Amino acid sequence: MSILKINGLVSSFPEDKMPATIADLLLNLGIDSAAVVAELDGQIIERVKFSTTSLHHGQSIELIRFVPGG
Amino acid sequence: MDELIIAGKKFNSRLLIGTGKFSSSSVMAQAIEAAKAEIVTVALRRVDITNKDDDMLSAIDREKYLLLPNTSGARNADEAIRLSRLARAATGINWVKLEVTPDPYYLLPDPIETLKAAEILVKEGFIVLPYINADPILSKKLQDAGTATVMPLASPIGSNQGLKTRAAIEIIIEQANVPVVVDAGLGLPSHAAEAMEIGADAVLVNTAIATAAEPTKMAEAFKMAVIAGRTAYLSGAAAESKKASASSPLTGFLRND
Repeated sequence: MSILKINGLVSSFPEDKMPATIADLLLNLGIDSAAVVAELDGQIIERVKFSTTSLHHGQSIELIRFVPGG
Repeated sequence: MDELIIAGKKFNSRLLIGTGKFSSSSVMAQAIEAAKAEIVTVALRRVDITNKDDDMLSAIDREKYLLLPNTSGARNADEAIRLSRLARAATGINWVKLEVTPDPYYLLPDPIETLKAAEILVKEGFIVLPYINADPILSKKLQDAGTATVMPLASPIGSNQGLKTRAAIEIIIEQANVPVVVDAGLGLPSHAAEAMEIGADAVLVNTAIATAAEPTKMAEAFKMAVIAGRTAYLSGAAAESKKASASSPLTGFLRND
C-alpha cells in the first residue's frame, strides 16, 4: 500500500493503483486541473508541471482552487 | 475620461465587486455585469475532494474582468504570503488583495502582520492592495513599502454599517499618493456615494449586493451611486454653514422696513 495525504486526509492506494503524477491524481479524483493549484510537501507546483511531477508514498499534497470571496 | 489607475493599469469603473455570498454563480455574473465592475475579488480554499462542485471561475469572463485573489483566512503574514504565492501560481496574476484577519468576531485586520506581509510581497513582485483599518499612519507606511493602493475599511466586513471611519479616511485620502479604495461595511448605495464624495478613488462592495433581495438591481444602484459620488467630488462641494443663505432674492418691495 502507498499512502498520500490529500488535503489533510490520508488516502491509501494499492501499489499498482498509486497515481504516478499530480495529473494522474486529479484525473482519478475527477478534478479539472485547469482550476486547481497544488502544493506538494509545501512546495507550490504550477499547473504546467502537473504531468511531470511524480508522487511518492508518504507525501502530502494540497489541492487548492478559487472560491467566491470578498 | 476620469479613469482609475492602479499600478499603471487603467479602469473605467470605480466599483470593485466581491464574489462571496451570492446565491449562485449566474446571479453573481449578472450582478458583476450590472455593476459594470472591472475588478472582482475571489478567495482560495482547499478543493473538497468528496464534493466537487462547479468551478466558479468559469462564470467569470477573464477577458473582461481582472481577478483579484484575496488572502482571506490568513491570520498572520506567513499565511497571507503562502496564499498569495498560491494565487499567483493558479492565475498567473500577481495582483493580490492582502488581508490578515486574526480576529474571528469583527474580522479586523492586523496592521503589523499586514505591513510585514506587504513588504515581502512587494519585493516578490506582487501588486499589493492591502485591506486595513482606517489608520493614516499605517496607510503611509504601506504606501512607502510600495503597495499599489490602500483599502481602509468603512466598518467591519459584512456589517452594512456604512462609513463609520469617515474622519480617518478623510485624512488617509488627504495624505495618500496611491489610490484609496474604501472596502468593507458599505451597506447602501448612499454609503458608497459618501465615500466617493469625500474623495475615495474607488469602493469595494460585496455583502450589500450579494445578499440584497435583488442583487442585480442593487449592483446597478451601487454603480450609479459611485458615479454620482465621484462626479460630486470632482464638482467641488459647496460650503456648509450654520445659518441659512437665501436661494431666492429677498426683494424689499413687500414691506418698507
